[in-house]
Amino acid sequence: MFDAIVIGSGMSGAIAAKELCERGLKTLVIERGRKLEHGASYSDGLQPWELPDAGMIPEEEVANDYPIQSQCYAMSSANKDFWVKDSEHPYSTPEGKPFSWIRGNHLGGRSLMWGRQSYRLSAMDFEANAKDGHGSDWPIRYEDLAPWYDHIEKFIGVAGSKEGLAQLPDGEFLPPFGLNDAEIMFKKAVESKFPGRNVIPGRVANLSQAQPQHEELGRTSCQVRSLCERGCSYGAYHSSLSSSLPAAERTGNLTIVTDAIVHSIIHDPKTGKATGVRVIDSNTKKTQTYEAKVIFSCASTIGTTQILLNSKSDAFPEGLANSSDMVGRNLMDHLYGLSVAGVLPNGPDTFYKGRRPTGLYIPRFRNVSEPGAFLRGYGYQGGAMRMGWRTAALGKPGMGADLKERTRKLGPWMVYISGFGEMLPNPENRVTLHPNRKDKWGIPITHIDCAIGPNEQEMAKQIITDGKAMVEAVGGIVVSTGTEPGVPGLGIHEMGTACMGKDPAKSVLNGFNQAHDVPNLFITDGSAMASSGCQNPSLTYMALSARAAHHAVEFLREGKI
Amino acid sequence: MNELLSLDRRSMMTRMMLLVGASATGGFSTAALAKAATSGKSGLSKPNFLLLTALADTFVPRTDTPGAVDAGVPATFDALLFHWASPARRDELIGALTAVDRLAIEKRGKGFADLSSADRLALLLPYDVEALKVMPRPKDSKTFAMLQGPLYANPSYGKLKELLVILYYISEAALTHELVYEHTPGVWLPSIPVTSETRPTGGAGLF
Repeated sequence: MFDAIVIGSGMSGAIAAKELCERGLKTLVIERGRKLEHGASYSDGLQPWELPDAGMIPEEEVANDYPIQSQCYAMSSANKDFWVKDSEHPYSTPEGKPFSWIRGNHLGGRSLMWGRQSYRLSAMDFEANAKDGHGSDWPIRYEDLAPWYDHIEKFIGVAGSKEGLAQLPDGEFLPPFGLNDAEIMFKKAVESKFPGRNVIPGRVANLSQAQPQHEELGRTSCQVRSLCERGCSYGAYHSSLSSSLPAAERTGNLTIVTDAIVHSIIHDPKTGKATGVRVIDSNTKKTQTYEAKVIFSCASTIGTTQILLNSKSDAFPEGLANSSDMVGRNLMDHLYGLSVAGVLPNGPDTFYKGRRPTGLYIPRFRNVSEPGAFLRGYGYQGGAMRMGWRTAALGKPGMGADLKERTRKLGPWMVYISGFGEMLPNPENRVTLHPNRKDKWGIPITHIDCAIGPNEQEMAKQIITDGKAMVEAVGGIVVSTGTEPGVPGLGIHEMGTACMGKDPAKSVLNGFNQAHDVPNLFITDGSAMASSGCQNPSLTYMALSARAAHHAVEFLREGKI
Repeated sequence: MNELLSLDRRSMMTRMMLLVGASATGGFSTAALAKAATSGKSGLSKPNFLLLTALADTFVPRTDTPGAVDAGVPATFDALLFHWASPARRDELIGALTAVDRLAIEKRGKGFADLSSADRLALLLPYDVEALKVMPRPKDSKTFAMLQGPLYANPSYGKLKELLVILYYISEAALTHELVYEHTPGVWLPSIPVTSETRPTGGAGLF
């Protein structure tokens, strides 16, 4: 028997495992995907001319195996093995209501391919549900999580600038990746024309300056290659493989099993506790049971939901920890793909060197310093860059020596911003188990029924209106807009399906991420989120994971669980 | 150290080009084209591979720097056709290729690869302008559509040209001689002056 089992080795699971191991618990991490190794499993050494098929995945392979995963911006022929084959990992959606579930089943999960943008939720985010009545009131407030944000930021390394903004609290930052000259020009224009709006360097989990705690784990400073999604042999961005799992391993308390799909969590009705997990070997289909005193489910939002709903018993006929009927409900993503791009005819006559792993960020201002005709708000990610060779070579007709000559010249500056908007928790946005269809391991597939609502539609319009106004404020000529929100799921911020809350009748988890119904079951992936904020959520998942691990160990030692 | 290696490669390539008699005005002769097109295996028929070589050379000729043929673009494209492209895409691209040959026969009375480099350029330039006329896209488009690029009057030709040009600009030759590419820049400098020597940075990224 282990002291603890952690289901999933991604962003949340590896942090939970590290924190549990560091507190002396013999911890088993169960990963459904294959083993990958830091460095050896990466393709970041490939030069552009060495990319298989020039970086493109064969079209028939996309159609047959990756119709959903290929919608992810980060996927290429160099790293396609980091994504699941849709053909092997099916799920269903209602007719006309698509949901794009982007996944990576391997050791480290999506921490290998994440966008690394790292922002704290603020006090107003933790109060939002209570204030407007949507979703369950968070059982914690910003002050409860602030020290754990500190803890995680120091460990993973987040580059960013201190701005003193209430809606986007500062943290324990490494030096920021500075704005380029066009971005500074954009910042000045936006901040002078729209008081209350701010343009700041994107906060990103890349080591702008590695610190001793990073170097101890073999991590070094970012080489500004912008090849992160292929894995980084420098360990310069935080991932489970480069950072949290090595930290867990050095305690001597960690055991990892890979290729092990959790079928369900076992519950003992006599004690009311979870006793272990049933696992299916993904290759041999042999089953096995692992036991532990405490269980953390960090299998990703939809993965955890699937496990809970499939863990049926007499005590929990609708799935484990689901007496509230809230498991699977309130699925959220962020509004995504709402973008404005503009050319700056009067951009500065300068350039930059390096491929920075982030850009600029515009923190939320609607329903903060400016009103909105909707609830909640949105932030923008983006950047300014000089149009490069593709535009010069292909942007207009022509060929021959003229084409070569024009492609040697620097293009004009372009500024690009894309809104990320908060989705309200809505119990009708729901993950259930399909009544008939099972995967090849005999586990019911998930059925994902999710759509954006009227509040999000209203917000989407304002994202574009505000985006255009800001691009035009700097003298930009808007050349392109993406005015329709992307398919839900493509924000790759799915969350909310085992929400935290004060009321056990209306939520799944309490203020320690502990299941109301099962005291030794903790859930710290995105499913725990009671609301989504508009900030990229991984930092919050990690802070919740570390905090929950701390309390779980205390409860164990006190004999409470 | 990286800069020194890069410079050395640059000078080596220059010497190599002198040896093969590179001109500063560009374009392969029909004989040189035929020679370039016979090396190596191809999935395309020999006439079509020769046609492809002529087209790649017309789009990006050898000038004071290597061109598409020097960079091995025809062979790379040929491999893409038979590994990356779906059958429908392959038919589309080969169709766009042979359409150029038909144009040459119609307008000049002989195949595209049999024309001089100057003739090829003169023939193709007006065709290129017509083919790449941008058609209106639906007003409200998703970001995904934005990233797909413009809708062209002749999308098959547009895709063919795009692939050949991109293959050139992500080749080692182009990233050594035409653009600037450092796999490991090592440092982020948010502001550097632009000089007469400044070139766009290359790579496989979108911009």
